[in-house]
Amino acid sequence: MNTNTVNSKKAIAQLTIVRIIVYIILAILTILCLFSFYMLIINSTRSNGELQGGFTLIPSTHFIQNLVNAWNDSSINIPRGMLNSFLIAALSAICATYFSALTAYGIHAYNFRGKKFAYWFILAIMVIPSQVAASGFVQICYKFGLTNNYLMLILPGIASPVVFFYMKQYMEAVLPMEIVEAARVDGSNEFFTFNRVILPMLKPALAVQLIFTFVASWNNYFLPSLLLTKSELKTVPIMIAQLRSADYSKFDMGKVYMFILLAILPVVIVYLILNRNIIKGVTSGSVKG
Amino acid sequence: MKEKKEKRHVSYAKWGLIFIAPFFIAYIIFSLAPQIITIYNAFFENYRSGLTIVGPNFVGLRNFVSLFTPDANGTIDILKYTGNTLLMWVEGAIPQIVIALLLAIFFTSYRLKIKGQGFFKAVIYMPNMIMASAFSMLFFTLFSNVGPVNQVIQAMGWADATIDFFSMTVTVRGMIALMNFLMWFGNTTILLMAGIMGIDQSMFEAANIDGANSLQTFFRVTLPLLKPILVYTIITAMIGGLQMFDVPQVLTNGFGVPNRTTMTLVMYLNNFLSGKNYGMSGAVSVILFIVTGILSLITFRSLRTQSEEA
Amino acid sequence: MARVILKDIKKIYPMSGDQKKKKAKGKKTEHKTGNLQITDKGVVAVQAFNLDIADKEFIVLVGPSGCGKSTTLRMIAGLEDISEGDLYIDDELMNGVAPKDRDIAMVFQNYALYPHMSVYDNMAFSLKLKHMDKKEIDVKVREAAEILGITEYLDRKPKALSGGQRQRVAIGRAIVRNPKVFLMDEPLSNLDAKLRNQMRAEILKLRQKINTTFIYVTHDQTEAMTLGDRIVIMKDGYIQQIGTPQQVFDHPANLFVAGFIGSPQMNMMDGRLIKKDGKYAVELPGTTVVLSEEKQARLAANDVAEQEVIVGVRPEHVILTDSGYRGTVEVSELMGSSMHVHLTDVHGKDMVVILNDKKDFDKFTTGAQIDLTFTPDVVHVFDRTTQKNLEW
Repeated sequence: MNTNTVNSKKAIAQLTIVRIIVYIILAILTILCLFSFYMLIINSTRSNGELQGGFTLIPSTHFIQNLVNAWNDSSINIPRGMLNSFLIAALSAICATYFSALTAYGIHAYNFRGKKFAYWFILAIMVIPSQVAASGFVQICYKFGLTNNYLMLILPGIASPVVFFYMKQYMEAVLPMEIVEAARVDGSNEFFTFNRVILPMLKPALAVQLIFTFVASWNNYFLPSLLLTKSELKTVPIMIAQLRSADYSKFDMGKVYMFILLAILPVVIVYLILNRNIIKGVTSGSVKG
Repeated sequence: MKEKKEKRHVSYAKWGLIFIAPFFIAYIIFSLAPQIITIYNAFFENYRSGLTIVGPNFVGLRNFVSLFTPDANGTIDILKYTGNTLLMWVEGAIPQIVIALLLAIFFTSYRLKIKGQGFFKAVIYMPNMIMASAFSMLFFTLFSNVGPVNQVIQAMGWADATIDFFSMTVTVRGMIALMNFLMWFGNTTILLMAGIMGIDQSMFEAANIDGANSLQTFFRVTLPLLKPILVYTIITAMIGGLQMFDVPQVLTNGFGVPNRTTMTLVMYLNNFLSGKNYGMSGAVSVILFIVTGILSLITFRSLRTQSEEA
Repeated sequence: MARVILKDIKKIYPMSGDQKKKKAKGKKTEHKTGNLQITDKGVVAVQAFNLDIADKEFIVLVGPSGCGKSTTLRMIAGLEDISEGDLYIDDELMNGVAPKDRDIAMVFQNYALYPHMSVYDNMAFSLKLKHMDKKEIDVKVREAAEILGITEYLDRKPKALSGGQRQRVAIGRAIVRNPKVFLMDEPLSNLDAKLRNQMRAEILKLRQKINTTFIYVTHDQTEAMTLGDRIVIMKDGYIQQIGTPQQVFDHPANLFVAGFIGSPQMNMMDGRLIKKDGKYAVELPGTTVVLSEEKQARLAANDVAEQEVIVGVRPEHVILTDSGYRGTVEVSELMGSSMHVHLTDVHGKDMVVILNDKKDFDKFTTGAQIDLTFTPDVVHVFDRTTQKNLEW
């Protein structure tokens, strides 16, 4: 009896120590993740003079002023950039999500010759880096005058293997064929069934993929930077890179921080609201081991 | 009895084809055709010199030969950049996987019962959603000669003069690796957690009853069962790592400072592309394609053997 | 007015490349195809199915899983292509007609309700697709809801309903359409036993109200016996017997039907069919039963010779006697008004006897020896090799 209580006390003490260490590690990682963003927010509230003056963790009072300055900057038209980015990101998210769901449904619900091939083909192309196509794609766009055309950034999303794969897995989990058959008996044609019966059933998956594809497009830098040459058509990441290549020492640093903040803010807001769903969505689309 | 000979069968097969058609049409137009053109271009001389366009002239493998020809200093650029890319990837990926594995075990441990998991997961995943170019720009401003990091160092008296973080290979690579780590370890943690939670809980209970301690349980039970998803995670991370671009591009303004020691493969490709040198960009793309192709084959093979074992 | 005729209908699933290879190698693919026949064209799930269903008849397709009953129903619905043969509804060839144009309605095993629509919208969906007038839809939906007692749930989503209520909605969705043919695919198999009995009675009532042709698929012989005007018993894609519940109970065509219909199962004993004074009799160790006049005539008509047979007697038809066919009691189950006694017979086979007389109940402790015999009109004789009922 006695040794038992001693042992169990020892075990509890051990567990407590382990727990404390774990929380310390978590605290360090949390600081590591958040510190740079905290600095960003603090610095976006400080004037250029304050920023040159020294380091502080306490916010200042120049947030609005920096915002107005950044918003009205003549060389970097950030409101226009955000509007452009939003337009491209929203449309490509809708395109990618809708057509991936449609493709996944085509393979999930129907039996046709070549179905297996189509499935494996899509899985195989998932790992080909998009940059491999870039050279030819950019060349075609220049040749046919399709640079500065948003469609060239939106339409490729129709073929999104990763989104397809996620949708396919989701359908396997939630979509019984009986529903499709019931709709057939009820007199619905196949296209109508997909739009009115199937899509509403996929809402959670659609929402997750809309977020992911929107964020991916909003953050996308490589291809837009090669295709968008007109300044009024440029997206936010291109403007950020422009900021970097400008002689920034002449810049108002408060404004620079404000630009960065504006670039990431929409995604951060969405993330703060929907992080639970987003994190759930990360796992359900991945390959099961 | 009336007989309509024309239609004897009910078939929905055509709808499957109609529904998958947009995907394949878009794939062919926006991916496959450009890929073929890319590879085709790799065998042509086709670039712009000032205002004159040279080519396209067929040059066989000359673009590849010039890729692998040492320059005046005896370095072969493409090998150097591939090396840079892999090295920076490894520097970020090792802590990424180790920390992710640790966190995944902490979070799933029924003995530790970590509180606030939702908060921690949200925090560690957040950098993944942030625009890489903006994140990189933020690091640039923080670590610049007049940035807060230098201000702190001076205020603390840790160094006499301003530290130019961007003049040293080790610090620039370190920053890139750190950013990649921050952007991806949360994602890896969540994937590995799903993997661990997919393991039958009774395995851990059985190991516990059999007298295994936590470390033994980890190395003898968790790790072997987690191997498939771990392999998948590492290899997809490697493929992603080969495509490293936004972070080093913005951080070094496309120059790969210092002395091109942080130049990556895709930055190299980007340089050719923005210079409209389609021959050389095609050749670099082919190399990129081959390298990822080999890695993907390894992924598929390892996944297949594992699914056969199961 | 809806007569359904199935003429030589077959369903053949083409084999995939892998299966063909396996077959060529001589490997068994039985775990996938059961005992289904495999031809060059593929796996035959339904064999030349012939059935003439009269208007307003209630037909039940019954059999164990994988027998082809659901496939047959799905071919009638148009959800599955008919490989060979003709399907007529009201003398019109339906093979190539889409489900929506067949004027059928179907109730699915898992209800298949649209989860994002309210009960009302679920029921109204097909009518809306027909561009029916909104007021008319409303009248029909409310009428059907009234019949099924689900009026108060019309605004709810299917998720908020119990299994029995969902089943009612599924039926409601079918009846609003006033279909010529009403198809039901194992509609009660997801309900618990009590609810299943209740719903079975309701389906009988429903049938009187909506008076149309029903085709009902189930694996449960009790449902088949209680609901069907005629029953079609299937196994491995073949029809085993078609008949009224009484016919298949009294005159099972073969051992399979005899065993499938009736609960507990019919007892099968090894015996011999002999001719005694020109009359057919079955000889079992300890007892010989001369068959009834009706059976004499049927056997004589088939010119059946003396032979080793399997003798089938239902548990409820076994009679106790002082000296007869001997069995040893294994266990006895008291069911209240009756008792089921499980025995091992002289050949070591299991038997079940149902006793209704309370006086007898306490005699049957484990290990007790009892003697049994049978009345002449309830004994079935089956061929040992073909397993066919020799009367047929």
